[in-house]
Amino acid sequence: MPRSTTSLPEFSTSVKLKYVKLGYQYLVNNFLAFLLVPVMISVALELIRLGPEEILGLWNSLHLDLIQIMCSVFVIVFVATVYFMSRPRPVYLVDYACFKPPLTCRVPFSTFMEHSRINNKDEKSVRFQMRILERSGLGEETCLPPAIHYIPPTPTMETSRAEAQLVIFSAIDELLKKTGLKPKDIDILVVNCSLFSPTPSLSAMIINKYKLRSNVRSFNLSGMGCSAGLISIDLARDLLQVHPRSNAIVVSTEIITPNYYQGKERAMLLPNCLFRMGAAAILLSNRRREARRAKYRLVRVVRTHKGADDRAYRCVYEEEDSEGISGINLSKDLMAIAGEALKSNITTIGPLVLPMSEQLLFFLSLVGRKLINPKWKPYIPDFKQAFEHFCIHAGGRAVIDELQKNLDLSPQHVEASRMTLHRFGNTSSSSLWYELNYIESKGRMRRGDRVWQIGFGSGFKCNSAVWKCLRTVKTPVEGPWSDCIDRYPVDIPEVVKL
Amino acid sequence: MLLMELLVIISTILLLYSLLSFVWKAFDRWRNQNCYLLEYICYKPSDDHKLPTDLCSEIVIRNTRLSLSDYKFLLKVVVNSGISEDTYGPRCIVQGAREECPTLDDCFEEVNDCMFTTLDELFHCTGVSPAAVDVLVVNISMFAPSPSLTSRVVNRYKMREDVKTFNLSGMGCSASPVAIDLVNNIFKSRKRTLAVVVTSESIAPNWYSGTDRSMMLGNCLFRSGGCSFMLTNDPSLKHRAKMNLKCLVRTHIGADDDAYNCAMQKEDDDGRVGFHLSKNLPKAAVRAFSKNLQRLAPKVLPVGEQALYALRTLRHRLWTSKVVKVDAKSTAAARVNFKSGVDHFCLHTGGAAVIEAVGKALGLTKYDVEPARMTLHRWGNTSASSLWYVLGYMEAKKRLRKKDRVLMISFGGGFKCNSCLWEVLRDLQDGGVWEDCVQDYPPQTLVNPFMDKFGWINEENINTEGRNIPSHINI
Repeated sequence: MPRSTTSLPEFSTSVKLKYVKLGYQYLVNNFLAFLLVPVMISVALELIRLGPEEILGLWNSLHLDLIQIMCSVFVIVFVATVYFMSRPRPVYLVDYACFKPPLTCRVPFSTFMEHSRINNKDEKSVRFQMRILERSGLGEETCLPPAIHYIPPTPTMETSRAEAQLVIFSAIDELLKKTGLKPKDIDILVVNCSLFSPTPSLSAMIINKYKLRSNVRSFNLSGMGCSAGLISIDLARDLLQVHPRSNAIVVSTEIITPNYYQGKERAMLLPNCLFRMGAAAILLSNRRREARRAKYRLVRVVRTHKGADDRAYRCVYEEEDSEGISGINLSKDLMAIAGEALKSNITTIGPLVLPMSEQLLFFLSLVGRKLINPKWKPYIPDFKQAFEHFCIHAGGRAVIDELQKNLDLSPQHVEASRMTLHRFGNTSSSSLWYELNYIESKGRMRRGDRVWQIGFGSGFKCNSAVWKCLRTVKTPVEGPWSDCIDRYPVDIPEVVKL
Repeated sequence: MLLMELLVIISTILLLYSLLSFVWKAFDRWRNQNCYLLEYICYKPSDDHKLPTDLCSEIVIRNTRLSLSDYKFLLKVVVNSGISEDTYGPRCIVQGAREECPTLDDCFEEVNDCMFTTLDELFHCTGVSPAAVDVLVVNISMFAPSPSLTSRVVNRYKMREDVKTFNLSGMGCSASPVAIDLVNNIFKSRKRTLAVVVTSESIAPNWYSGTDRSMMLGNCLFRSGGCSFMLTNDPSLKHRAKMNLKCLVRTHIGADDDAYNCAMQKEDDDGRVGFHLSKNLPKAAVRAFSKNLQRLAPKVLPVGEQALYALRTLRHRLWTSKVVKVDAKSTAAARVNFKSGVDHFCLHTGGAAVIEAVGKALGLTKYDVEPARMTLHRWGNTSASSLWYVLGYMEAKKRLRKKDRVLMISFGGGFKCNSCLWEVLRDLQDGGVWEDCVQDYPPQTLVNPFMDKFGWINEENINTEGRNIPSHINI
């Protein structure tokens, strides 16, 4: 379908345009090949024409002696060394593990509504929660931590720590088992958990449990919202650029226990309906021998912070309601702000990942709008050219819808996000890893595929990471989806009648 | 042959080019390895935040669950703490009497005041615009709202969209070197980067209102304070920088259960959250400290001193046959003269006992520990930012001269011991927050003026007749 060229409105020409577009893409993206192939063919023809004796004669006439050969070899080796040394160290994702919640923590709709009615005396709030749950896109198998199952919920520091230990240790145990890594070999530890930050930190808790070395570099990020997982990856990457031959573990989680809102303010009841228990532990490394068994290589991380704009800053805000109970207030313009933040992120990441054909079109449309006709529609680059898989933070159904519209993605591209929201709910920063595991479990991840992970968070931040797959992931994949992947994808109705 | 000569010329050009680019890259990397401290601004709350001893005891009394022995214990701690009458607390506790139920607004007010006043002055002093900041790190251990405090700063100062923000939390009193480590690592892979770090602590939401003694110490010792500082690796700003980071060593002994549990935020038996300081804390501190020193010594000491240390250790191993029971700290440190490699010591003001113990372990004189003791006296234990107040004292006293080396040592929950060594780049003379009072230091006596009024609490059998004890205190 014609997108940028409004000068050809007839539908009959749209089909021909598609082939023109394809041809153009092939031409521009493989420009170098198109240039060199004729040269190589002509050289080959010339060589064949010359015949073997003449080639031998040409070779002998070069009078190459030992010194000159050695010099040329030395030059080649030297240039190659300088080139390789000046490149940044590659960061490999060796493997990752997600927390699989136990069956006992499941919260089907009926349980959630029943608890809601008992705990919250206000009838309007209960009805509001029911309406949200009906349209949320969540399924019947999402999980809440044990302390929230009590009537009334018991959010103490001890139960919060218990939840943290349950989710984080399960994820790390599985990661260590999968990769065979010894805790003594961990050099860097980055933990991000937005809403629970005890002293000593969760990173100290991990160091204590797994008896990590005393010179481990640990960092505990907090309050950074649902996009904090990618911030931790960015930090780990910066550290791995500086320290050679190191392993870094990144733990992304969200602890629900202390943040269950028990008041009546509607905008603050929303997180109760959407946030669920989850955690992910990721092993990153810059060791060369890990390259052989690593799943992905980190290509790029781009961070965008819209906090300078007051509206964006206030759209996810922790505050106290009129009764003094604190909760997270989600504003109504969340979608619009998410869209704007995404646009900013795209403008930065676009030039770095889009193929030449898209960039040229974007550049031409920009030039055209400035010089020829300002009324031309801005060209939205086709990101499907740059990536095979998309992991969009499962923040809520509306977020996924909005992004699908903005990026012009097909339902298959956002399937991982929707199914993760259905099966696990909004697990905040770890949701991206559940989605990646879904794609792998479906057997869709092939060597050479590129994945784009997009996270949104309070502040307002939009962060994205680009990974390149290094080896085809074979099914069946061990992970949180292993027992239910065959049931997916499911059709999620607009409204589930409760 | 012409072809041959062409080949030789091309390879020579390529060789020269590679050699030059290699040398340039190495030089560039060496130039950008540095981490310069441009400026640091400590927080001075306004006078209506002052928390003198009598007000502190009044606040303590307001807790109706205390018995007389608890009250005695607390007053004893306050009076013997080495803290003066001029330390500061959060407004909601000092004026609002809301220590048991602080609102979110109270917490924000405390944090906003600290962060924004110091940052305003930092940007003003350095002349740097907030839009030029590339990295922002905020570390406040016990308060982490959503959106984070870094977002709060980004919003207030309208920083750029691509600013890298990090909100560190839960890292305890030792968080300053952690933040510096983070920034230093980012500097190593980026050129001409400017970083701002804000370090402070939040007292308002963490006042303990129960009866567990191990948790009440925090109330008596922690005081309001904070610091904002600016770091850069841009060589063109070197002439304006105050100090240059030489090395940084982080040690974490959380693997040991006793060490991990010795400073922990948890609930007491009645379900009230407080910061528990166990009796194992000094032992854990000693272990962490000696481990840190072992890694720090080779980086800090001059070669001669290291050789001497090696010789002494060897002699000790070979000649001492009997097993002597000494703690690791005193043997390791006493045999090493740190003063040969370090001119000034910034010790974390965890308490009078901590300063004394560390001073003794390092073989420091009264002159060396004076900045830390005076900081404890004037500002109390301001947690992570205390190192900067100690540095401010040294600067105000005009002790810091070009080429001097300053060692910062701090301890924190987890259990961590972090240290970093700075080299002073030019003679420093800024008064900073000490400007109005440094001439009164060191004072004649550090004894609390309320010793008389409350001195009776030190007696074993007290006669309560004629003593002003509130009615609800259960005897």
